[in-house]
Amino acid sequence: MIATTPSPARGPSPLWTRAFHGFNLLLLLLMATSGLEIYNANPVFGGREGATVPELFTLGGWLAGGRDWHFAVMGLYAANVGLWIGLLLRRRHRRLAGRGDLVTLRASVSPPRRRLASHRITYTLMLIVLAFSLITGLAMYKPAQLGWLVSLFAFAEPVGHSSWQTLRVCHLATIPAIALLLVAHVVLSWRVGGLRLLRAMFL
Amino acid sequence: MADPSDPLSRRRSLGLLLGGGSSLLLGGCALNGWSETVGEATQPLNERIEALLQGKRRLPEFRRSQVEPAALLINSFNGTPEMAPGSYRLAVNGVVSRPLQLDLAALAALPQQECVIRHVCVEGWAAIVAWSGPRLADVLALAGPSPLGAYLAIRSADQYFETWDLASALHPQTLLATHMNGAPLPVANGAPVRLASPIKLGYKQSKWVTGLELMTSLGERLGTWEDKGYEWFAGL
Repeated sequence: MIATTPSPARGPSPLWTRAFHGFNLLLLLLMATSGLEIYNANPVFGGREGATVPELFTLGGWLAGGRDWHFAVMGLYAANVGLWIGLLLRRRHRRLAGRGDLVTLRASVSPPRRRLASHRITYTLMLIVLAFSLITGLAMYKPAQLGWLVSLFAFAEPVGHSSWQTLRVCHLATIPAIALLLVAHVVLSWRVGGLRLLRAMFL
Repeated sequence: MADPSDPLSRRRSLGLLLGGGSSLLLGGCALNGWSETVGEATQPLNERIEALLQGKRRLPEFRRSQVEPAALLINSFNGTPEMAPGSYRLAVNGVVSRPLQLDLAALAALPQQECVIRHVCVEGWAAIVAWSGPRLADVLALAGPSPLGAYLAIRSADQYFETWDLASALHPQTLLATHMNGAPLPVANGAPVRLASPIKLGYKQSKWVTGLELMTSLGERLGTWEDKGYEWFAGL
C-alpha cells in the first residue's frame, strides 16, 4: 500500500492536473474581473445607488465589454472545470476529501495529518465552489429557458428576497469564496509540500 | 530543498506565474481594448446556441401575486416622447401583402393576452411584471407576411431602433403590450404600445413602438444598443 500510494508531497501531479490548474487560474481571473465589470452596471448590493467596484479590478471598460469577456470565456471555463472534475472523479478520487478527512480533523493530534486533511478539504471545496459558480451563472444567463434552475433559489423568498436577488448574491459570493479558499490552498500547499508541491501543481 | 540543477527555471516559473496574474489585474485597461474583438469572435457561436436552446413552446409564467412593481426600473436612451393616444398609429410594412396603419382601437380589438414574466435587464436587475396586449404574431398576421420575412425591425417614437429574428417575434408570449400589472401602460414604461417578451433581454423590448417592418435580411443597423456593442440575439 505504502509503495503504491504516493505521498501528496512527492512527485509532480499528472500533466493534465497541472494544465487544468494553470488554465483555470487564468480563466478565473478573466471571469472574476469581467464579472465585476457587469456588477458595476447595477450593483448587487444597493442597486443604482450601490457602491461600485474600483476600475482596477474590472475588465471590459463598460457593460458590453465586460459581457464580451464574460461570455467569451464562460465556455472555456465550463469545459475546463467540467473536464477537470470529471477526470479527478475517475482517476484521482482518492485525493479528494471524504469523511475520513473530517474524522482526522476531529480525532488526530498529528499536525501533519491534520494539515493534509485540511488541505484536501480546502481544494475539494474549491472544486465545489467552481461548479457552483457555473450553475448560478447558467441560471442568470438563461433564466427563461432554465426557469426551474432559478426557482431553486427561491429559498429566501419568505424573508423578502426574490429568487433573482438570491441568485445574484450566490453568483457574486463565489468570488470571495474562491479568493479565501485560494489563500488557504496556497498556504496549506506550502506547509504540506513546500515549493516542490506548489511548483508541481503548475509546471 | 532546492534542486541545484535548475534553480533559475524554478524561480523563474513561479515568478512568471505571480507576475502574470498581477499584471493581468493591473493591465485590465490594456485588455479592455480587446473586448470587442473577443466578443465578435465568440458571439456568433453563443447566439447560435441561444437560438437552439430557445424553443417555440410557451414558457412557464408567474402568479399575478408575484409581480414586483418596485423592482422594475426605468431606462430610456433619449428621454420620454410625447405621444397623443388619439393620433397614434402603428405602421406595419416591409415584405407584407397588406401594409397597415393600426390605431389603438384596432389593437384592442385583437385577442388580448396577459403574460406574467420576469423582465431581465442587461444591467443585472430583474422584475416580475404582468404585461398584457395583443400578441405580436397576431398583429403581423393581419398584414399578410411574406414567407421570405426573416427579421423584424421595430421603430419607436424616441428614435430607438431594434431588430429581432422572426422566430422570437412570433413566440406565443411576445406581446405588443398596452397594459402593465392590470392598468394602462404608464408613459415611462412605453405607453401607448411597447414590446414585452419573456425570451429577450430588456433592451430588445422597445418602448413607444410606432413601426414594424418585416425584412428578408438584416441591414446596416442592428439596433440602438447593438450598434454600440451589445449582443444582437440577447436571448433569455
